[in-house]
Amino acid sequence: MKVTIKSWTGVASWKWIANDENCGICRMSFESTCPECALPGDDCPLVWGVCSHCFHMHCIVKWLNLQPMNKQCPMCRQSWKFNIH
Amino acid sequence: MLRAIGKRDRDIFEEVWPEKRKIVLKLLRQETVSQLEWQDLFFGVHFVCLWDEKGAAKIYEGLQQDIVEFIVQAQSKVQAQRGEQALLATYIVEWRKFFTQSNYLPLPFRQLEQSPQVKPSSSSTGGSSSNAGGGNSSSSTAACASTNQASSSSSSAKASTSSAAITAGGASTSANAASNSNTAANNSKKSPTEDSPVRKLMLDSWNKHIFRDIKDRLQESAMKIVHAERNGDAYDAQLVVGVRESYVNLSSNAEDKLEIYRENFEKAYLKATADFYRLKSAEQQQENGVLAYMKYADSKLREEEIRAKRYLEPSSFNILTSRLVKVLIVDHLNSIIAECPALIRDYETERLNLMFRLLDRVVDGEGVEAMMGDLQRHIKSAGLADMQSASEIITQDSEKYVERLLELFNKFSDLVHNAFNDDPRFLTARDIAFKMVVNDTSVFKMELPTSIANRGVKYTAPESKCPELLANYCDMLLRRTPLSKRLTSEQIDARLRDVLLVLKYVNNKDVFMRYHKVHLTRRLILGTSADSEKEEDIVEWLREVGMPADYVNRLARMFQDIKVSEDLNTQFRNSISRHDAINIKILNAGAWARCSERVSVSLPIELEDYIPDVEEFYKKKHSGRKLQWYHHMSNGTITFVNNFGRYDLDVTTFQMAVLFAWNQRQHDKISYENLRLATELPDPELRRTLWSLVAFPKIKKQILLMEPTAIGSPKDFAENTMFYINQEFAIVKNGKSQRRGKLNLIGRLQLSTERSQQEDNQSIVQLRILRTQEAIIKIMKVRKRMNNAALQAELIDILKNMFLPSKKMIKEQLEWLIEHKYMRRDDDDINMFIYVA
Repeated sequence: MKVTIKSWTGVASWKWIANDENCGICRMSFESTCPECALPGDDCPLVWGVCSHCFHMHCIVKWLNLQPMNKQCPMCRQSWKFNIH
Repeated sequence: MLRAIGKRDRDIFEEVWPEKRKIVLKLLRQETVSQLEWQDLFFGVHFVCLWDEKGAAKIYEGLQQDIVEFIVQAQSKVQAQRGEQALLATYIVEWRKFFTQSNYLPLPFRQLEQSPQVKPSSSSTGGSSSNAGGGNSSSSTAACASTNQASSSSSSAKASTSSAAITAGGASTSANAASNSNTAANNSKKSPTEDSPVRKLMLDSWNKHIFRDIKDRLQESAMKIVHAERNGDAYDAQLVVGVRESYVNLSSNAEDKLEIYRENFEKAYLKATADFYRLKSAEQQQENGVLAYMKYADSKLREEEIRAKRYLEPSSFNILTSRLVKVLIVDHLNSIIAECPALIRDYETERLNLMFRLLDRVVDGEGVEAMMGDLQRHIKSAGLADMQSASEIITQDSEKYVERLLELFNKFSDLVHNAFNDDPRFLTARDIAFKMVVNDTSVFKMELPTSIANRGVKYTAPESKCPELLANYCDMLLRRTPLSKRLTSEQIDARLRDVLLVLKYVNNKDVFMRYHKVHLTRRLILGTSADSEKEEDIVEWLREVGMPADYVNRLARMFQDIKVSEDLNTQFRNSISRHDAINIKILNAGAWARCSERVSVSLPIELEDYIPDVEEFYKKKHSGRKLQWYHHMSNGTITFVNNFGRYDLDVTTFQMAVLFAWNQRQHDKISYENLRLATELPDPELRRTLWSLVAFPKIKKQILLMEPTAIGSPKDFAENTMFYINQEFAIVKNGKSQRRGKLNLIGRLQLSTERSQQEDNQSIVQLRILRTQEAIIKIMKVRKRMNNAALQAELIDILKNMFLPSKKMIKEQLEWLIEHKYMRRDDDDINMFIYVA
């Protein structure tokens, strides 16, 4: 008797790797969405700053638009730069 | 001068009238009158009126005498008749003649209309009949009438003739005034062109001299004719019509022409009709039974309607019909309604339809309501009885259940259609009953905890399992199954529509959505959808039937997600050449059922190697994300080779892990304990997986065997239960073992673990609690102040597309919201809630 694998479908789900449970701006869980979105996931992504802080993209963009002069991370006050991996 | 004329006045009348009178008599007798004579009459009347101050009154008086005389003759002719028919016939002949003349004779006397002397003489015959308010002190009103005459005449500016007018008027009316007291006041209101005084005189005289005396006899005779007609004897309808006509036309009461008719003829007709059918209906019912009686009543109602058109004035139709309905239907209501349940039971649609038509005539709807109640009770009890008698099959087989249910629905809908013409009231009764059948918990039920307090599950409230079975049926239609293969696309569509139809009546729709989602998840993960277009269709249909948007959106989201995952899989397979047997489905956890519970398993070495490759690939694609494997959902195909043959088996990853334990030691017996060590599966999952390998339903030869063999359920596996590969395993088809073949051992893919199944039911309740709170807040935010009853009604309205909130749950959630200061009770009114921002 011999058993060999002919094909296999692996099922997985993905999660954000965030340094915190909740978004520092809207206080909603990263697993959930920013207050404006209905469904979590690709439609409401997270973004990371160079300072390593992470937010819902919608939240940080809104925040940055409210800052007239120097765009700062709301957590650490360093100037905000998107961390593009 | 005046005197001279005055002296000649008499002469003129005396001179002219005797000649003219002959013409009048000719006219009355309907003898031929030449043109010249006719013209002469006009002239004569005009001449007398012009030259004789009192001429008008004199002519009037003379005319009256002649008319009365003529009438008296006619009367004696009529009275001479013995038989009733003959009496009637003679009367009608005379009346017709006279009535015709009443249209011609007044023409030459138009001049009299201008004269105030004769105006008061016109009078209603109303007083002659018994209705004139009884003995309404005729003397005093007569006095009053004469003063009225006086004032109206004196104001007519012919002062010189006023005194003569009073006497003349008084004289001419004296005969009438005695019997008729109340018309003088009316006269002043009447317009002078309304009716000719001569015509009135004719009709009044007729009334007074003939009709009053014999009207009771006439009426009686007419009723006898109608009676004979009802009994099917020969009759002359014209006689009855004639009597009615004399009633209608003899009324000179301009305000209410039909007064005499109504008080006499109509009354008598109604009474005769009611009496006739009161007797007949009882007789009919006793002789032929209620069912035949309904037919009788129906045909008689029609017959009488037609008869009424012949014999009655249109104003009487409704009164007659309602009287008939009373006698023919309402008086027999109970015995008719008593037949209803049996008729419904036997689907006697024709008779039911007849009964419905009969009872629908009853104004207050009492009978129809009783029928609705019967229908509702019947659908409910027949539906439930049907379900109960088939409970063995239908609790197991969702296809049979749904088909049975639909069969019932169609049957009852047909009944409502055929018997009750799809009357909205009966459709509602049907819907109410359907609802009871569908949501009934006596055949099968699922237990849901009623509340989740900190103390844990308190007690459970049973709910119908119907939504679960509906979802199962949907699954069978949408998955590749023997059923879905057998049916054409249109048939499947029709059945899916049927499911939605039933779903309309289900109270706990959220349960359906939950199961539907679980089934959909399985189909998408295993790729077993029969038709992906239909999958998406039904999601839209669910939206159309009013399923809450967020439920539906979540389903739509799953399709989207599976497409994203397919793209990713293609990219993955392109990126790494050696993994052509490996597929990945990477899901967005938020869109799918919450099955985040991780189940550990020790994968076969071959698979273990692939895992890092996938993770590496994904990391490159999406930074900031990590993968979480759902091995309880992953699955694959293995090739199983033994001495007998070579088989492709579709298995879950868990089954794979278990079977791989034998790869190094094919002939060994391995204990349960050792399998657990080898696979690292949690106890419930291992038991379940092993059970699916030793006792997979519907196959002759199992792939694994066990020792001892007499184990009845996965719970009975002991630590030392031994398992070994069935070397004789083969796929058996048509009684023959096959050397090659393909077999699916996945069965129903377990999406959740045993423990979380209980949690599943709890989470339904938990979700309901949240929905209830959410809805209460939503309502209160808008209304600010609301009393309990209104709030509950609106709440049920909002939630009914998901579930029917129990009173208890609503109360608990209200308490909770008050406790947490979302709202408060009014200080004065404990049933009034106030929103607290």
